[in-house]
Amino acid sequence: MSVTSDQSPTRQARGLSLGGLLRNEQIFLIILLAVLIVGLSLAAPRFMTAENATAILHQSAMVLIVAVGMTMLLITAEVDISVGASLAFASCVVMDVINTTSSLTLGILAGLAFGGGVGLFNGLVVTRLKVNSLIATIATMMILQGGVFLYTREAVQNHHQIEAFSLIATGYVGPVPVPVIIAALLAVVFYVMLNYTLIGRRVFAVGSNPKAARLSGLSPETIKLVAFVVTGILVGVAATILASLLNAGQPTAGRGFELIVIAAVLLGGTSLFGGKGTIAGTILGVLILKIIDNGIIILRWNQDLQIIVPGVVIILAMFLDQLRKGRTDG
Amino acid sequence: MHKSMKTLLIAAASTVAMVATTMAQETPKTVGYIVNYATHEWYQNVIGGMQDRAAELGIELEVIDANLDIAKQVSAAEDFMARNVDVMIITPVNEEGAVPILRRAKAAGVPVVLEGNPVVGMDTLVAICDYDTGYNAGVEAGKWAKENLEGPVRVMNVGLPLLSATVLRSNGFMDGIRTEMPDAELVHDLDGGGNPDRAQEVSAAALAADSDINVIYGINDSSALGGLQAWRAAGLPEDNLLVVGTGGEGLAFLNEMAKDGPLQLEAAMFPEKVGFTSMDAAVAMFNGEDLPEHIVSPTHTLTPETALEFYDFDGESRQINWERVNELEAPDQCMKYASDL
Repeated sequence: MSVTSDQSPTRQARGLSLGGLLRNEQIFLIILLAVLIVGLSLAAPRFMTAENATAILHQSAMVLIVAVGMTMLLITAEVDISVGASLAFASCVVMDVINTTSSLTLGILAGLAFGGGVGLFNGLVVTRLKVNSLIATIATMMILQGGVFLYTREAVQNHHQIEAFSLIATGYVGPVPVPVIIAALLAVVFYVMLNYTLIGRRVFAVGSNPKAARLSGLSPETIKLVAFVVTGILVGVAATILASLLNAGQPTAGRGFELIVIAAVLLGGTSLFGGKGTIAGTILGVLILKIIDNGIIILRWNQDLQIIVPGVVIILAMFLDQLRKGRTDG
Repeated sequence: MHKSMKTLLIAAASTVAMVATTMAQETPKTVGYIVNYATHEWYQNVIGGMQDRAAELGIELEVIDANLDIAKQVSAAEDFMARNVDVMIITPVNEEGAVPILRRAKAAGVPVVLEGNPVVGMDTLVAICDYDTGYNAGVEAGKWAKENLEGPVRVMNVGLPLLSATVLRSNGFMDGIRTEMPDAELVHDLDGGGNPDRAQEVSAAALAADSDINVIYGINDSSALGGLQAWRAAGLPEDNLLVVGTGGEGLAFLNEMAKDGPLQLEAAMFPEKVGFTSMDAAVAMFNGEDLPEHIVSPTHTLTPETALEFYDFDGESRQINWERVNELEAPDQCMKYASDL
């Protein structure tokens, strides 16, 4: 499933050494996932149930939706820290517009437009004003966190009572929750787009070597701008699900969401330096983090660990990324 | 009927007496309130109650938001003292950080009323009784369960172990419900972080592990409704479920109660009344009156029917019914304090 360029036969021939496993991140992640599942099943018999599997997938859906966009953005060597703040604001916009218009379609479109607009703003600041994306999107996060309280001082409650709205987050198709289906569809679309289309190749080209991409006639700025907007639109999708899930637009929601998304994407093997990443790795990264979250709750461990784990994962993922980069450079 | 009329007359008379006493006092010109976190619905309603009372008494009220920053709270207090406000009301960001503010205010001769959390060296604190609030809601939940729920009572507590106040609420709820249902079992004791998304997430995981629950208790509305939304997302039936919220700080609980769903009890803490009482305490302090160390602000367990006696609710906004809220009597002291944990 990987598109990365560092899976050469030489590397694959290195066998099953620990170093080799660490470098082949997807095999490493699959083993890690298996160890987690077996370990938690032994430690907590209630872990291995259909209900719990559904709950884990349900909790993973929103993170995965934004993470597929973040994967594309990181491949272009940019990052968006404002996704959590945008998620909260967009959830308020979705609920407010549906309350005002009694139209589910308009509410969803408003959420997508808001998220896309934030992405466009970030993209323009980064590509036109040449502000580093880490700094630019931290600034946007602050603007959004303050701005949402100018927009609404309290949670935007559901005054429309449209039945279909609550089904976005709480509905099922057979045994599968609707958000899981939405996330799976988006993951497939982005997998195909990144692996089998010209757009995908351009995204990798811009992230790998922007100068070479420019010499080939590509505009790195335009591709990065599109990646920001697409990530923003995906935040709008997640915000619609969040508003439905909480039955309100919550201005205080989404704190730390960006770190979980970024931790999952980095854990999945996407490089913070750009030019490398896979949707499959991101899916595995999201599942690992959410299974750890679920395990912490089921084992009744201190839930502050849920905040600590993504931090540790980011450091570990960055270390492995540096290790791989060092090997490639060396 | 005769008895309730008599009670009403006594309550009305005591309210009139209280108002008359306040009116007879000298009122401060300016009161400064330093709130710890003005974006929270609870504090917006505390401020609303304060503003209403200040307007009635002709007091100019100025509010500064410390936004959970103790340094900002200290500088706001210095600012108020430099401008010679007559009284300060403070909701401390943290207990230790507010000690030097009290010391400096005392030196400057500015009386201080604390709201919410006690601080060493304080003169008076206006706050609800957290344990009693949970306990009374628990007793009502036990009665409701006896009449309406099938099987033994199995509780999911969406709590917040970080704060002693919220631990007291949860403990009170379990003690209260066991007075009516002695075998009530605490199946899930969760840390919902006090916010809806985290409450929803931890509740979802807990329910996936064991959904044999028939009572969800939340230490605030976000926690109770986060638990309820997790229940709904898991596709579980709502016909043998009771949800009990705490706080009543916003519109969410009124919306949910209007649906006549599983949220049948709300341990309302009337933030507007807390603000109202804090302003009265500020006036009393200004006049040099001796006040108790803890002035208790009343709480009451609401049902979907009684909620509308206390709040006029049109679906999009709410208005407190002062007459009804002022009839509530608060205990002189709480059943348990944080020091009892």
